[in-house]
Amino acid sequence: MMRVEYINPFVSAAYSVLETVLGVQPEKGQLAMRPGIFTTQQCSIVMGVTGKVEGSVIYGMSLATADKIASHMIGQPIRTFDALAASAIAELGNMITGNAASLLSDKGYTCQISPPSIIRGSNVKISTVNAPALVVPMLLGEFGSIEINVSLQERK
Amino acid sequence: MGKRILITDDALFMRVTLKNILTQHGYEVAGEATNGREAVEMYKSLKPDLVTMDITMPEMDGISAVREIKKVDPNARIVMVTAMGQKNLVVEAIQAGAKDFIVKPFQPDRVIESVQKLLGS
Repeated sequence: MMRVEYINPFVSAAYSVLETVLGVQPEKGQLAMRPGIFTTQQCSIVMGVTGKVEGSVIYGMSLATADKIASHMIGQPIRTFDALAASAIAELGNMITGNAASLLSDKGYTCQISPPSIIRGSNVKISTVNAPALVVPMLLGEFGSIEINVSLQERK
Repeated sequence: MGKRILITDDALFMRVTLKNILTQHGYEVAGEATNGREAVEMYKSLKPDLVTMDITMPEMDGISAVREIKKVDPNARIVMVTAMGQKNLVVEAIQAGAKDFIVKPFQPDRVIESVQKLLGS
């Protein structure tokens, strides 16, 4: 059962991490439910969660947004999306998921996270294996937006 | 000569960021490890004055690496720098012998404050 209470820690973590890292006040968009398979955006950070809740979390964004975020994090405009840029974007996902995992653990859902993977390219279909995902867009002003897809289930 | 610091993080971006912060404040980066096992090996060969340690890494996690380094050198100064700030991990890391625990994202001042406190300079 995918519960709304599993996504709230990710939204809270995203607010604080994005504000600290990017210096913008994020705005939350409309929450939506998605079936177990969906097409990713141009750039996705994919992370696994294991423990009392388990599943995957995917952060999707456009290439333009990924470039802007990586440039801001690195402190200079990026010419190509190289290993350092990919690592910066991955670290953003790592920080949001890590902070969310701490909030989940505070609620009794102790969990660990796996190192992030970055997928670039449109029309990639990702399956969250029989579980629907809850989706929240975070609007980031000049940076564009990041869509947070959370597909977690309580471990039986 | 500046105090020598070993950086441990699997993310290239975080190693570059920490290196910039530390070198701008006059510290020397003795080496960069990308997982816990590398950190243990590099600690033995480089004998740094301080280690920064991520937790979630492939091969060997940061808390296991702290335990291994402490076996080699009980006086090792290790600061955890990680996105995982949950209480059980903080307790586990401190019990393993870490001296401080910094949660990402951090402000550069937070890192420098910790390093200065532990190195006394």
